Amino acid sequence: MASVSVEAVRKRYGALEVVHGIDIAIPDGEFVVLVGPSGCGKSTLLRMIAGLEEISGGVVRIGERVVNEVPSKDRDIAMVFQNYALYPHMTVRENMGFSLKLRKADRGTIGERVKRASEILGLDTLLDRYPKQLSGGQRQRVAMGRAIVRNPQVFLFDEPLSNLDAKLRVQMRTEIKALHQQLKTTSIYVTHDQIEAMTMADRIVVMHDGIVEQIGTPLELYDRPANLFVAGFIGSPAINLIRGTLRRDAARSWVSTDAGIDLPLNGNIIGQDGQAVVYGIRPEHLSPSDSDGLPVTVGVVEPTGASTFVYADLSGAQICGVFSERHGFNPGGKMHLMPQLDRVHLFDSATGRRLSA
Amino acid sequence: MVAVIDVQAGEKAPGRLSQEAIWGLIFLVPYIVLFLTLVIYPVGYGLILGTNPKSYVRLWTDPVFTRTIVNTVVFLGVAVNIKLFLALLLSGFFAHEKRWIRWLSVIFILPWAIPSIPTILSFRWMLNAEWGMLNSLIFRLTLEDGPNWLLDRWSGLGMISLVHIWKYLPFWTLIMLAGRLAIPKDLYESADVDGASPLQKFFYVTFPSMRNLYITCTLLSTIMSLGDFNSIYLLTGGGPADSTQTLATLGIRYAFGMSEVEVGVTTVVVALPVMLPLLVLMLRRMRKGEQP
Amino acid sequence: MSLRKILIEARLMLLGVVIFIWTLIPIYHLFVMSITPRVETFAGALWPSRPTLENYETVVKQGHYYLEHFWQQLWNSAFVAVMVCVITLVIASTATFAISRLRVRGGRLVSNMALATYLIPPAFLAIPMYKVMGVYGLLNTQWSLILTMVTFASPYAIWVLKQYADKLPYELDEAARIDGASPLQIFRLIYLPLMAPSLVAIGTYALLLAWNEYLYAFLLLSADKDITLAVALGHFLTTDDAPFNVLMATGAVYALPPAAIYYVFRRYMVSGLTAGAVKS
Repeated sequence: MASVSVEAVRKRYGALEVVHGIDIAIPDGEFVVLVGPSGCGKSTLLRMIAGLEEISGGVVRIGERVVNEVPSKDRDIAMVFQNYALYPHMTVRENMGFSLKLRKADRGTIGERVKRASEILGLDTLLDRYPKQLSGGQRQRVAMGRAIVRNPQVFLFDEPLSNLDAKLRVQMRTEIKALHQQLKTTSIYVTHDQIEAMTMADRIVVMHDGIVEQIGTPLELYDRPANLFVAGFIGSPAINLIRGTLRRDAARSWVSTDAGIDLPLNGNIIGQDGQAVVYGIRPEHLSPSDSDGLPVTVGVVEPTGASTFVYADLSGAQICGVFSERHGFNPGGKMHLMPQLDRVHLFDSATGRRLSA
Repeated sequence: MVAVIDVQAGEKAPGRLSQEAIWGLIFLVPYIVLFLTLVIYPVGYGLILGTNPKSYVRLWTDPVFTRTIVNTVVFLGVAVNIKLFLALLLSGFFAHEKRWIRWLSVIFILPWAIPSIPTILSFRWMLNAEWGMLNSLIFRLTLEDGPNWLLDRWSGLGMISLVHIWKYLPFWTLIMLAGRLAIPKDLYESADVDGASPLQKFFYVTFPSMRNLYITCTLLSTIMSLGDFNSIYLLTGGGPADSTQTLATLGIRYAFGMSEVEVGVTTVVVALPVMLPLLVLMLRRMRKGEQP
Repeated sequence: MSLRKILIEARLMLLGVVIFIWTLIPIYHLFVMSITPRVETFAGALWPSRPTLENYETVVKQGHYYLEHFWQQLWNSAFVAVMVCVITLVIASTATFAISRLRVRGGRLVSNMALATYLIPPAFLAIPMYKVMGVYGLLNTQWSLILTMVTFASPYAIWVLKQYADKLPYELDEAARIDGASPLQIFRLIYLPLMAPSLVAIGTYALLLAWNEYLYAFLLLSADKDITLAVALGHFLTTDDAPFNVLMATGAVYALPPAAIYYVFRRYMVSGLTAGAVKS
């Protein structure tokens, strides 16, 4: 097992630069998730770490070794691909043992390690099948088995769950996390799904347009998003973002929306009176109230059983609230929503940067 | 300072090839060597042999040559078009999912699968005016002598086309069948719902879907038929009196029959102005739709 | 079954009979003549009055002036065909691996050149090829024929194999690289096994192309002991009093192996070759 360090890494295709100098330090044993919308460069970065793409600039280290010029096969890594990439002409056993066979391990060792990995993954009864005889979830497990057998320094996952149906995805998510807790191998996991990122990661790297927006633990990103992009990307349903102008006087601060509604703030912010800002509050941090808070008109009500999603109109701005209460929301009716003041996020509307402390 | 050195190491050293690139070149070498020594060299050699102006004068004044040009055009026009039209029709027949039609298709492919020498020689004997099976049969039925199938320019060319079609029809039928089976079934189903007759289905569903394929086949088949040496050489030998030669056989006749190598090559060079555009057109069509 | 359905079926049957007769006429004629005794050669009968195997016996025992080297020539045909098959497979599989899987620089150019070569009618290159073989000192050796047939078989082989190679998921190669495979190991352990069906189709194609070739065999080879059976058959045409029924028996023997090979590998051939021949 080893640490991985990415220092000022860039990727250019001809004149087009798609990854603009990225720094990430991953300590030994950590499970890091690279998350971001498609085209943000997360897969390219992973493929550079894997040695499948040339590194145009910067340095990638695995352990203490600079691997820029080291071919994939000598980097001591294992990768799980989105479409599994199982060798169709080999059985599960041969697929899992292939890397050891290439390394000229003796048959006893190969058999033993394949057996152990298949027991961990519950594949023992499928070892003599071919990939086309397996279900999607089983193929996914074989792909992971192939990685585990290697006992590599680093596991790389490239959107491994996106070909599975929703139910299986949740199940495999848990399995991968449990596996990591058992093996403690340094892992880098790419996904566009922020829920996967939140549930699986020790730390999340949020990427956007070839740069890193923020690195942190799931709860850090949730509680203190560094900018508008991270705030909007993390959390489901998405955070409510309302444009307005920061107002401050000696006693207090608040945000005044274009429609003239005052949004409450606690004092703990940076920023000038009159600055254009974005006021952010997550749906789960609003609570219904009779007279205090934001006056809204209820639009659509979606009960999910555990909680109720309410989409409401705040003088032209669309606002979503998630409540554990089930009743009292009448489409077309008026009500008030009270933000938890310590959960309000304030961002500069020009730079997108966080203004709350 | 270590960091600075590392960053330099991170920049790709120019001129160095990855393992993949080296192996890629090694793997390409056999074909490139073959291509240079046995395609480029002979093609260049031929083009140089074909630069002597005297050869062009010789060809232009040889009545056999002008006749050959006419023969080639007639042969291509007749053989290619009839063959492909039949292939299009027969592909509809073979598209029926019936056991006996599948068996018939296995037999139908025979002319293409077996070598042409024995079968063309068989045709040649069968069509012999004096003792061939065909004329014997005609004599027995009508008590009159049958025509001299291979001893007349036009019926000779007709028989050449017939043999050519017999040999290559199965191949083109297979191609058209593949194209026809690739047409989505729901197009026919929705035409059925709309109340289309079989003929209407052919004109409004089958033909539009296959038009592109048909054109490509025509181009490719024209180029290939231009090079059909066996059907002519083995059936009539270009005779009688060089009246059924085509460009494919005439060059060989000059070069190996009359030891006029340069003239022989020139017959092929003369065809280039027609060949090259066909070739380029065909290349474009075959390249299209292929991933880069 | 309704009357209409019976009518349609009858029409199909009629067409089927026509196709059946059309296809088998020259083959039937070949067969009938090959079992016709020499005395009836010129009778032109639909079926010989006394069918015989004497013509085949003549062939097998090399009992005629034209057939003195029959077994040697049969072996020559087989040798040339197998060599062409093997060399074409090696050249085309390595080239397509480099172009499609290793994505070597200039690969597209090479595949374009191959495609252009495929569109040159072989008969048009006969004279310069003959000259060039003279320059290489290969005239009258079987290697001249083998190399020529490889030249004409490999462009199509590359074209077809490349289309199949392009369809294999690229992640398989990447997974193999990460698993520790060198390019050579990927070629041997991943590429060749996965391409096996199309390699069978292309191998059969090259084999039959070489076995069936007449023009180049006739130009490039001359000694009776070197020529292939195709050329030997052509020699029958040089005289007017050729024993045609012996010729037909020889032709039947010559046509049998390719027909058999075709039917054994038909499953691969039809899908392999039609998919590659023309793209619409």
